[in-house]
Amino acid sequence: MGQQGDFLQVLREQGYAVDNLPQPSNGNGLSDNYSDLTTGTTVFAMKYADGVLVAGDRRATAGNVVMYDRTDKVLEIDRFSVLAIAGVPATAFEMARILEHSFKYYRRSQLQDLSFEGKLRALSTLLKNNSPAALAGTGTVVPVFAGYDQLEECGKIFFYDILGAEFEAVEYAVSGSGSPTIRGILYYMNRWGNGPVAGLNEVDALALVLRLMTSAAEFDSATGGVDAQAQLYPIVKRISAEGVRTIPAERLKALYAEKVLNHV
Amino acid sequence: MYEEPYRWIEAVANRRNYLDDQFTQGNPLVGVSFSQGILLLTVNRGTEKIYEVYDRIALGGMGHPTDLEKLRYTLLDMAHVEGFQRSPSDVTASRLMKNGLAPVIKEAFEEIFKAPYIAKILLAEVGATQDRDRLFTINYDGMFEEQRGFGLLAASSSIRGLLAQEWKTHGPLSSLSLALEVSLRLWGISSLLQASTPSPDTEEKGTTPSSTASVPTIPDDEAIASRIRETLSKETLECVLLDRESGKMETYRSLSQAELQPLIPQKFVPLIES
Repeated sequence: MGQQGDFLQVLREQGYAVDNLPQPSNGNGLSDNYSDLTTGTTVFAMKYADGVLVAGDRRATAGNVVMYDRTDKVLEIDRFSVLAIAGVPATAFEMARILEHSFKYYRRSQLQDLSFEGKLRALSTLLKNNSPAALAGTGTVVPVFAGYDQLEECGKIFFYDILGAEFEAVEYAVSGSGSPTIRGILYYMNRWGNGPVAGLNEVDALALVLRLMTSAAEFDSATGGVDAQAQLYPIVKRISAEGVRTIPAERLKALYAEKVLNHV
Repeated sequence: MYEEPYRWIEAVANRRNYLDDQFTQGNPLVGVSFSQGILLLTVNRGTEKIYEVYDRIALGGMGHPTDLEKLRYTLLDMAHVEGFQRSPSDVTASRLMKNGLAPVIKEAFEEIFKAPYIAKILLAEVGATQDRDRLFTINYDGMFEEQRGFGLLAASSSIRGLLAQEWKTHGPLSSLSLALEVSLRLWGISSLLQASTPSPDTEEKGTTPSSTASVPTIPDDEAIASRIRETLSKETLECVLLDRESGKMETYRSLSQAELQPLIPQKFVPLIES
């Protein structure tokens, strides 16, 4: 019978393979050079004065090939939570869809929202079930999960390893190939900058997001950054007590022109 | 004994009598389509009767709460698996009703050695435009109906027929407050008629004053208003809006008492006893 309100259980009953997936065989079963797999690149979440900002660049690459320049890696799971994905998009998008339906199904069947803790557990479970594919390299996903905890009335950020271990970030979390640059800059700013990044107002925090993304793209070929010519801006979502809101591209465009491009 | 066809028909007829009787104490449930979406309205004595099924679909029920829960889960499972494996836009009230609910209810009704579902269900689906709104109602025997602007759950089909006529006298509803007024009035009429229609048992016993009493007519406005005032002073008004203009995938919104109070027309507001 399983737990009440468990969407995975419903899928299992319908014969949909959600766990115990056969291990992908590539000879020795160990990680090989899967350079032709499409992967996602730079995502991060950071706290600021009004809540949490989650951002992701738009590029998807397979080895040296740019597959797509309009990927959306920052996915709204429900009104109060966002999943930012780095890794193999095929698996990551599937996880996002399962989570979205799991939360909806729980809310509608149990007539109450799934707790923030419960949402974190759901993601951990998916990652754990996916570990054979993650280890083989065919389904590696390293997400950042951010949301608003309505019980504790604050924004929260969590990051994961490929096996599903969950870590809470105090101020920010990063993932993807361009993330070391961003992590370094944020560390430096918090330690020796003008006060903690978590105290920035929305305008300054958004300008910082665009600068961080531009810096990541400078040093990582797999990160799209900002392409003002093609009108391609990162996806940025804001999480606060009112829920998740997408920052419109026009706003990012104005900020980019004012605070990134022409800034001395 | 039920091997003979006649016995089976008799058993089914008995079942109808039994089931008709079960609904006489139930609260009617009204669904109307208007400019902003679909409004579902009923009153309850504590247990809610209107639920979210999927992004654009809501369910209203009348009958035994346990049976309603079972059927609600059937719909939730079907809708979410479909929405996940195909797309949320493939989940429609029409398919939920025809493939999900109707066969299950009909089978249980005709399986005369087992208990039938004591449930009547209304499924409402809000469309992108008002002409795409749909309301489905299903009876305890698996018989379903599709309507565009109006749906009603009530104890007997004669009430439903009369109310469908009454609904046609209303013009298009252009606001939530208007939709609420009209649906509350329709609810009041159904509730009055349901209370005055004798149950099959009493008819048999000959306690009905005349045969004309079983043909329902629309009561006068004061009787309707007083019925509504009386009910609202004891029970809770329950309203759900499937909001076409929500701007999100999800349209279901339960209207809070604070939101409802200013919308209820003065003539329906119960007098506070000092």
